[in-house]
Amino acid sequence: MSLTSLDPRVTRLNLPEGEQPPVEAKPVLDQFETYETFHQKKEGTAYTYVGPVHAPNEEVAFLFSKEQYSRRAACTGMWVARTSHIMVTPYVGDGENVYDAIRTEEPTERSEQPEAYEIFHLKKRGKAHTHAGRVEATSYQEALQEAKKAFGDKGPIVNVWVVKSKHVFRNNEEDKDMWLTIPDKKYRDAVAYKVMDKITKYKEENKTTAVQ
Amino acid sequence: MYGGGNVFEATKFDTLQNEDPVKMAEFEARIERGEKIEPNDWMPELYRKQLIRMIEQHAHSEIIGSLPEGTWITRAPGFRRKLAQMAKVQDEVGHAQLLYSAAETLGKSREQMLTDLINGKSKYSNVFNYPAFTWADSNIISWLIDAGAIVNQLANAKGSYGPYCRALDRICAEEAFHLKYGHDAVVHMATGSAKQREMIQAALNRWWTPIMHFFGPPDKMSTHTEILMKWKVKMASNDDMRQQFLDMYVPKIWELGLTLPDPNLKKNAETGKWDYTEPDWEEFKRVINGDGPCNAERLAVRRTAEERGAWVRRALLNPKSKYVKPLA
Ligand SMILES: [Fe+2]
Ligand SMILES: [Fe+2]
Repeated sequence: MSLTSLDPRVTRLNLPEGEQPPVEAKPVLDQFETYETFHQKKEGTAYTYVGPVHAPNEEVAFLFSKEQYSRRAACTGMWVARTSHIMVTPYVGDGENVYDAIRTEEPTERSEQPEAYEIFHLKKRGKAHTHAGRVEATSYQEALQEAKKAFGDKGPIVNVWVVKSKHVFRNNEEDKDMWLTIPDKKYRDAVAYKVMDKITKYKEENKTTAVQ
Repeated sequence: MYGGGNVFEATKFDTLQNEDPVKMAEFEARIERGEKIEPNDWMPELYRKQLIRMIEQHAHSEIIGSLPEGTWITRAPGFRRKLAQMAKVQDEVGHAQLLYSAAETLGKSREQMLTDLINGKSKYSNVFNYPAFTWADSNIISWLIDAGAIVNQLANAKGSYGPYCRALDRICAEEAFHLKYGHDAVVHMATGSAKQREMIQAALNRWWTPIMHFFGPPDKMSTHTEILMKWKVKMASNDDMRQQFLDMYVPKIWELGLTLPDPNLKKNAETGKWDYTEPDWEEFKRVINGDGPCNAERLAVRRTAEERGAWVRRALLNPKSKYVKPLA
């Protein structure tokens, strides 16, 4: 006997009925590695962290991020970086500045020429990391010190992320039109549903019939 | 969507005894001050375990919950409704993605969560073990199950765990569309032809018990929630959320001239709370433990999707990948 469903397409799958033997645990990386996504809400504003995606490579990560994080909200640009490429400082409490707490560590790896690093700040726990700016350095540790000099005194900063600019995957400037949403997708907005009109009309009509 | 409530068994409380008292005091003080906990912070084992369980169940509820509505996409009356139903289902699957990642920051991999779902080791909202017989059932889900989910999600968005709050903020923003879409669909049926009214009333009758089950067993039947409330893991009791839901939605149902299949349902003028007949909690237990009308189908469909997609994932996997849990 196979499983019968109200949905004929499910019935046609010929799925076995009754309790099934357990599946084996999914292998490690069956769901791929993770990437962190930052978006720009409006032209000229700082990129902000929106969340992770799982993907086999950065191009696919970018596509998934576009679906996940720009499908329903305004977006003018997106950056994607592999999670393992991001260096994370310790977290301090709200109102504190993590740059005051970081001790200078010897870099484990150093590049011969300075290269660009992107710096992200978390201003308050529970909020999202925001792009503070870019610095030039020969290591993550040096980038952090440069970041402290450049933007470390701007109010409370509870956590910092540092990532090499070359590890940030972004869309080309000439592909900007990918962020334009088609105007006839209004059916995805709450405001497209004028339900009160129908209810009022219904109530009025029923009042009249009741009185008659 | 998510069947909030206390559907999980309470974790053993002796684990609390082994926690470092100084770190525990710092942790509790941080929550007391209204600060969020972030993934790398020290946290008691019990906090971690309960959050994983709760967020994971929420994630499972989103992908399993998209199945009953998903089957109605092709049969939705008219092109516009197909598009809207499709957009809603896509949102729900996106919610699962966000929530799995939030749970993952606590140390349980997405692979393990999906395995546990298919093997019935971890639960999802009980309501999705019931079938959507007609288009009207799908409308009731879109409106009232999402409404219940929103009550729960808005409460949880004020919880103490940063990644869960961030995910819920995004989710709640999208739910506004679901709620209006669902309400509009129900109103359309309720103010339509006699046949349409009959269909929506029948669906409402079918869904009333699952909806009452949605927030979980009554507080007097649930155990050990005080510490979870203190740690802002659980933000409102099952009964409080149920009351809030009744307060907001029963009047909206009644104003359409629809009835609810509970003769005792009324707002008590003295207590200011809703009186109602307790739904059958034995049925709830039976269904959540596997013996509902659709449990087997839901898991079989999920399992098939995983199995059939396995070769694609294998083909795409970069052998040099290394797993790191998401940052936030
Ligand atoms: Fe929803
Ligand atoms: Fe949802």
